[in-house]
Amino acid sequence: MLAQDLLGHFERILHADPLIDEVGFLHPTQFSSLGCGEAGDSSPQASVFQHRYFWCRDHKLAISAEILPELYRAARDAYYNSRNGSSQAANLMSHAKALLILCPDMLTAWNSRKMVLSEKYDLVKLKDELQLCALILSYSPKNESTWSHRRWVLKQIAEQHQDMAELVEKESVLVKEIAERSKMNYRAWRHRCWLIPYMTSKQVLDELKKSTRWCELHVADNCCFHYRRALLLALLDGHLENGEDSLTWESETYLLWKDELRWDEMLIRRYRGRESLWNHRQFLSQRWIQQLLALEETGPSTTSQVDPFITQEICLLSECLNDPADEFEESRVQAELSALYILWISKQVPALKGKLEERLHFVSMGRLKDVLVRACRPEKLRPWMNLLGLADQSQ
Amino acid sequence: MAEEAELAADQHVRYIVTVEKKKDSFESLVMEHIRLNGAYWGLTTLDLLHKLHAVEAAEVVDWIMSCYHPESGGFGGNVGHDPHVLYTLSAVQVLCLFDRLDVLDVEKVADYVAGLQNEDGSFSGDIWGEVDTRFSYIALCTLSLLHRLHKIDVQKAVDFVVSCKNLDGGFGAMPGGESHAGQIFCCVGALAITGSLHHIDRDRLGWWLCERQCKDGGLNGRPEKLADVCYSWWVLSSLIMIDRVHWIDKKNLTKFILNCQDKENGGISDRPDNAVDIYHTYFGVAGLSLMEYPGVKPMDPAYALPLDVVNRIFLRK
Repeated sequence: MLAQDLLGHFERILHADPLIDEVGFLHPTQFSSLGCGEAGDSSPQASVFQHRYFWCRDHKLAISAEILPELYRAARDAYYNSRNGSSQAANLMSHAKALLILCPDMLTAWNSRKMVLSEKYDLVKLKDELQLCALILSYSPKNESTWSHRRWVLKQIAEQHQDMAELVEKESVLVKEIAERSKMNYRAWRHRCWLIPYMTSKQVLDELKKSTRWCELHVADNCCFHYRRALLLALLDGHLENGEDSLTWESETYLLWKDELRWDEMLIRRYRGRESLWNHRQFLSQRWIQQLLALEETGPSTTSQVDPFITQEICLLSECLNDPADEFEESRVQAELSALYILWISKQVPALKGKLEERLHFVSMGRLKDVLVRACRPEKLRPWMNLLGLADQSQ
Repeated sequence: MAEEAELAADQHVRYIVTVEKKKDSFESLVMEHIRLNGAYWGLTTLDLLHKLHAVEAAEVVDWIMSCYHPESGGFGGNVGHDPHVLYTLSAVQVLCLFDRLDVLDVEKVADYVAGLQNEDGSFSGDIWGEVDTRFSYIALCTLSLLHRLHKIDVQKAVDFVVSCKNLDGGFGAMPGGESHAGQIFCCVGALAITGSLHHIDRDRLGWWLCERQCKDGGLNGRPEKLADVCYSWWVLSSLIMIDRVHWIDKKNLTKFILNCQDKENGGISDRPDNAVDIYHTYFGVAGLSLMEYPGVKPMDPAYALPLDVVNRIFLRK
């Protein structure tokens, strides 16, 4: 009997405040330290429940961990009873919501909600669904079922040719807030990348601008740099919502790319030994060089931009190799990353290998293999030498 | 000098068998909806440790079939849960362990999976449409084990997986998705099963994967993340499939996994001194299997099943 009362109370609170945006599961001892909650329920047990098991104020809900197993069982049983019986959709939705807040991973409960929502298109109800997902993501930011359900809702809206611009904007902000609290959250950033095809090129450019500062503050977070790469690719490939022509290299993208390379270099110099920054550079350089080489073929009279670029990258390499050792090993990692960066450029753009070796020789750094021997951990050398097509130099 | 760590096999067996029986503990409750995955993790581990007989085969098979949806041909995560490919693969894999594929309506199950292939070759996880390269792997693995790959457009499936390849040699969840060791395992496994590994730049991917090894010997899933035992499987099996596993320091990885054990109560955790769970217990033992740890059965890196089970499936038919 008690369990069903708990469930009833829980559902009444949820119904009374549809704007709840945060849920916490607290240890019973933490409960007593909370102040007065608000009445969301006028039933006789309400005051007992309020002080001991539930607390709700300013759209924040706390549940005592003490009752979780019982509450979960009650919600699960109520959900299945309403699903298997011929219960009203409203009951099913209410029980499913309670269950999902306790166990966001319950695919089956999400599916029931999809079934009810599929019966008739209702933008208001779909937006409520986004609210529910946001609530759950506030304490379960990596929950894949929730992110997946969210995408389903957005697809329903998009299919009705609703103007997605504002929604997409809000989604991006939501992901950013979640990413702030839950670093390197793959699911969250994957969702943000998923939004890109729904963006206009102006939105993509805005996203690039807006995420710059965030990336600077999170240089170890590979996700945000990958997001930038996805945005840049979207501008290049032109797979965007309003079907605008992809920007040509002679236009903004060319300048954007150059800026990105410069910005990445600045970060590399400031934050040593960060894989994400070097991964980003590899991506940028490879595309950049390929484009420069293509341009050279079409306009042989234009001065080569490839040579100055190589000179610049070798210069960066030299600085990284000559950095004094530090107690945190960052210089060593930086040296290795910079050497491997040059190695991969030479492999990915074979036309460049000769020019790279030439430049290395010109600045008295020997050959690429010498650079690797100098910069890499001895135990890691063998595969790199194999890649250069050389016999085992490390033994 | 520190004691040489050893695999506490008996304790792990005891842990798995105990957890399997405790259906009403809170730990079981929150895993209720993915119990079928849990069954795969627990039972495969038992088999790897030569102790599959510690559970009642008939009981397990009956329970698995109670998760089956005859109308659709799919399996749910537990009794009364909606079907999804995630649980369908686990069901098929567990039935393979017990050599009981005979209980299946193979055509129906294969049709369920094949029916989830989309126009572009990708696979949805269920009727609600979410696309992810994990589902490509799951579909191909399931159909291959059931000898029904011909029910789908294999070339398109391969093309979709290849379209998720990134410049760094890795693969993401969808085209343009960030490279992640788990997704990489799925894509490499999918390509291995379909004989399409030539699409992979083995050196490039091999490098990305071997850079996952951290100072403590463990493996992470992406740049700058902490090591986690589950990557011992995903990274290692991927490296084996592309023939670059010699780029990893196996000795240090073994040490890391063994340090994640609870040697008294059994079980393995994500990293040393954390709480254990079935999931990490499986991945830890599976990782040791791939490194040929004594006393652990060898595993097939693509099908994620003991080698003798896979041989039985493919050599017998």
